[in-house]
Amino acid sequence: MNYKSNKFSTDNPTNILLTKFLKINWLIVLCVIFLGLIGVAALYSAAGGNWNPWAKSHLIRLIIGVVLMFIIAFIHPKFFYKLTLISFLLGLLSLVFVKFFGVGSVQRWITIGGLNIQPSEFMKFALILMLAKYFDQLSKINFNRLFSYFIPIIYIIIPGWIVISQPDLGTGLIIIILGFAILFYVGVSLKFVFIFLLTFISSVPIVWQNLYDYQKNRILVFLNPEMDSLGSGYQIIQSKIAIGSGGVFGKGYLLGSQSRLNYLPEKHTDFIFTLISEELGFFGAMIIILTFCILIVSIAKISFSVETLFSKVIVFGVGLLIFLYLTLNIGMVCGLLPVVGAPLPLISYGGTALFTILISIGVVLSINVHKNEE
Amino acid sequence: MKNNNQKILEQTLTRRFFFLSFLKTLVVGSISWRFFDLQIIENQKYKKLSNQNQFNYFVIPPERGRILDRKMRLLAGNMDSFSLVLNWNESVNVKALIYKVSQIIYIDKKDLNRFYSSLSEKKNNNPKEILITKNLSQKDVAKLSIRNVEFPEITFSMSKKRVYPQGKIAGHLTGYTGVFSKLDKLNDKVVAVPGLDVGKRGLEKFFDTDLRGKFGRKRNEVTSKGHVIDTQIYEQTTTGEDIQVSLDMSLQAFAMQRLEMGNNNVTSIENKVIKKQIKVNEKVTYIDNNFVYTNKANKIVNPHSGSVIVMDVENGQLLCCVSSPGFNPNIFTNGLSENEWSELKNNTRAPLLNRSMSGVYPPGSTIKMAVALAALESGIINYDTKFKCTGVKKFETSNFHCWAKNGHGNLNLMQAIEQSCDVFFYELGLKVGIDKIAIMMKKLGLGQYYNIEIDEKTKGVVPNIKWKLQRDGVNWTYGETLNASIGQGYILTTPLQLVTMVSRIANSKYAINPSLIIKKNNNKKFNNLDINQKHLKFIKKSMEEVVLGKKGTAKKHKIGSKRIEMAGKTGTVQVVRITEEEREKGLIKNEDRPWKKRDHALFVGYAPISKPKYAISVVVEHGGSGSSVAAPIARDVFKNLFKI
Repeated sequence: MNYKSNKFSTDNPTNILLTKFLKINWLIVLCVIFLGLIGVAALYSAAGGNWNPWAKSHLIRLIIGVVLMFIIAFIHPKFFYKLTLISFLLGLLSLVFVKFFGVGSVQRWITIGGLNIQPSEFMKFALILMLAKYFDQLSKINFNRLFSYFIPIIYIIIPGWIVISQPDLGTGLIIIILGFAILFYVGVSLKFVFIFLLTFISSVPIVWQNLYDYQKNRILVFLNPEMDSLGSGYQIIQSKIAIGSGGVFGKGYLLGSQSRLNYLPEKHTDFIFTLISEELGFFGAMIIILTFCILIVSIAKISFSVETLFSKVIVFGVGLLIFLYLTLNIGMVCGLLPVVGAPLPLISYGGTALFTILISIGVVLSINVHKNEE
Repeated sequence: MKNNNQKILEQTLTRRFFFLSFLKTLVVGSISWRFFDLQIIENQKYKKLSNQNQFNYFVIPPERGRILDRKMRLLAGNMDSFSLVLNWNESVNVKALIYKVSQIIYIDKKDLNRFYSSLSEKKNNNPKEILITKNLSQKDVAKLSIRNVEFPEITFSMSKKRVYPQGKIAGHLTGYTGVFSKLDKLNDKVVAVPGLDVGKRGLEKFFDTDLRGKFGRKRNEVTSKGHVIDTQIYEQTTTGEDIQVSLDMSLQAFAMQRLEMGNNNVTSIENKVIKKQIKVNEKVTYIDNNFVYTNKANKIVNPHSGSVIVMDVENGQLLCCVSSPGFNPNIFTNGLSENEWSELKNNTRAPLLNRSMSGVYPPGSTIKMAVALAALESGIINYDTKFKCTGVKKFETSNFHCWAKNGHGNLNLMQAIEQSCDVFFYELGLKVGIDKIAIMMKKLGLGQYYNIEIDEKTKGVVPNIKWKLQRDGVNWTYGETLNASIGQGYILTTPLQLVTMVSRIANSKYAINPSLIIKKNNNKKFNNLDINQKHLKFIKKSMEEVVLGKKGTAKKHKIGSKRIEMAGKTGTVQVVRITEEEREKGLIKNEDRPWKKRDHALFVGYAPISKPKYAISVVVEHGGSGSSVAAPIARDVFKNLFKI
């Protein structure tokens, strides 16, 4: 179903706004703000009880992002439908641009007007939109023909491959897993799922050979952290010590010795959940995981109440995106997954990821608000 | 068709959604379980690891207790000193650092060796404080602090250094401390803390546990880079107990000086004759850097070596316990150099030997009281029994001479002690027999260890028939009894045993034992002496005659006070056998013999005679005759003690 019929409501604009406002899913908003503020508090602690350098700007970004999220919530989804192709192309373009003109030792960022932007983060949402748009024309797709998957797989592989080669294994994996999970969700026949799995497994050795040394190292060290207790394994070992020493209720806010004495690597980004677990303990960690679960479930619920496949795929994709971020990050810090470098959504320091999440959630809210207008 | 398609799609979506949700739940569940496992089940393990990260633990050595004399004068105390400490962590290039530092200041080799060994002893790679040296001078500190930026890992720390203000006067008694080594057997379980000083000798060793105090503990909070950001002392140190000894340092100092001087004079080195002698002989022992001892012929002589001990006859406390030559214990705390050590060790006068407790000498005539008491107790003689001395006692094939060439004539026991007649005691010894003499000597405290608070002590020898048979497998001969009767031959005593013997005679009631400590509860009971009071009284009277009698061997050395007079017994110990031929030729004067062949001069005594309070023993090694050398020393020490 397309959004080409240009039928606007003739009601008074204030009235429309008010009705839309009331339709917003406030549980999602609440979870988002709560998690964002947790992030501010954790970053304040990570800086040793300082607003600088992270907590203050995270708070400002959070406020801007939440406002942006609300604005997007009031925009009709068909607008995003129109923006899909251009945003995807823009994303791809910026990824290519980063590949050649990126800043930093690993090429992940581009600088626009003094802001460092990480296009790979944004690309995740663009991919969701692109796939959603593609599957919205479902009637034209025959799921039993392999060729039907050719285009979406191209959509997935190109950005995924570019990001992994940046090199940013974590984000690249999220993009690929996200894409394939959406393919699975929309109903790829099981025949192809098995074929794909077989191909995947047999391709592991080839992929392994093409991994960068640091990526191979991370996986090896993940499998045996003691292998390199001062190098790559150091992060996992210290992170586990920090989490484990937190106990039930933690060492107390601002009192985490592991983070305070700089035993924790990247405590403001990838390992922020370690800091929280150390200072707030099992109790605090579970509250945050629970809040994420509520957020993910609330988003997933929306996918049942919307009609179009475009909306369904977006809502499902955003929920999955948050889930992937969450599990990859937390699984990594507690040593269940290799250290691939994935931020914790809404809490880790990093503008692009925060805005991507807030914009995605804004789109989900918009879909929810406008679901009966289709 | 479209609706049908739609329905099928809806179903697929729902099914797949729940399948994926199931997977998600599994993932979240396993992550939650992981956190439960880390944070609750294995919490203790990780807490420990986190603590190890957070803190470096250190032991703080306590301040050592002081040693004080009876008037609270300091024998051993602590002084602030600067130590050089390396804050070691893995990134430090130790060798380069030490090289740099040793370019600026001199670090003793011993200290460096100790430093390297403690560096290699560390168990893990955690940052540590390692002591480099304890003996920094103010100058060193100044020099190093200027260039401190070049080696930020090296810091100064104030520590305590053991100091002995009395120097060599009491060196044998205080002993000294040193860095704990594996050779030190500590009687309590103590961690070998780097930088911990333990007593190595003397009182420091004996009272080590009391003096040491209790260790404190501290922890440094360190960052992952090894920077110390906070220090917490969570267990305070307890300063060691002070030990008060019975010594009187002013008497000790006087006695030492008096002993070393003997009958010699103190002459300034500015003296022309002396200057000449110094030019020829470089090995001169100076007194206070500006004086030397000279004999009557104005020749430079060495200070006397030997021992002076004063003991309280009522409680056994030692008021002075001199052993000369002494050594200065401070050189040990300053880190002894190879030179200093070899000089101490190879010195012919053996300054490291504590003569008063470990030095053994034949007692000579000072033993005669014991022989007399043995005779009286066995009832073999009475007070009036007389023997005739002709100057020599012919026994079996040998001649046993009296010190008086022409003899003493007929004399009784009291006269024999007064004049120290040897022949009288030969006769006595023969009658009593060595075994009874040995029993009496043991009663009077010879041939045994005491529970004195110094570990370095010697038992000496009190021979008897069984002893000889066991040692040599040969029977005891009467000739040996004759020798033993005048304190020569096998018999060996320490100055401390001699003073104990006199104390017991003077006390008459109790078998007094020597002690260096003022005991707070002074009701320590001594055993009864178990000797007839009348006999003891007679012996004491005889000892008085030695000083007061017209023919007394020490008659020239009366104290001369109406209030206080001393009693005693002289002793002159032959150290080489004099052959008959030599005797025929006429004896070579003591001063003309080489030092090693001269007689030992001894004197034992007590004062005041009216109510004995203090006993004394004076041993002057190769000093000459007891009456001319040892007795005046005893007199002067008593004079100093009684402030006459």
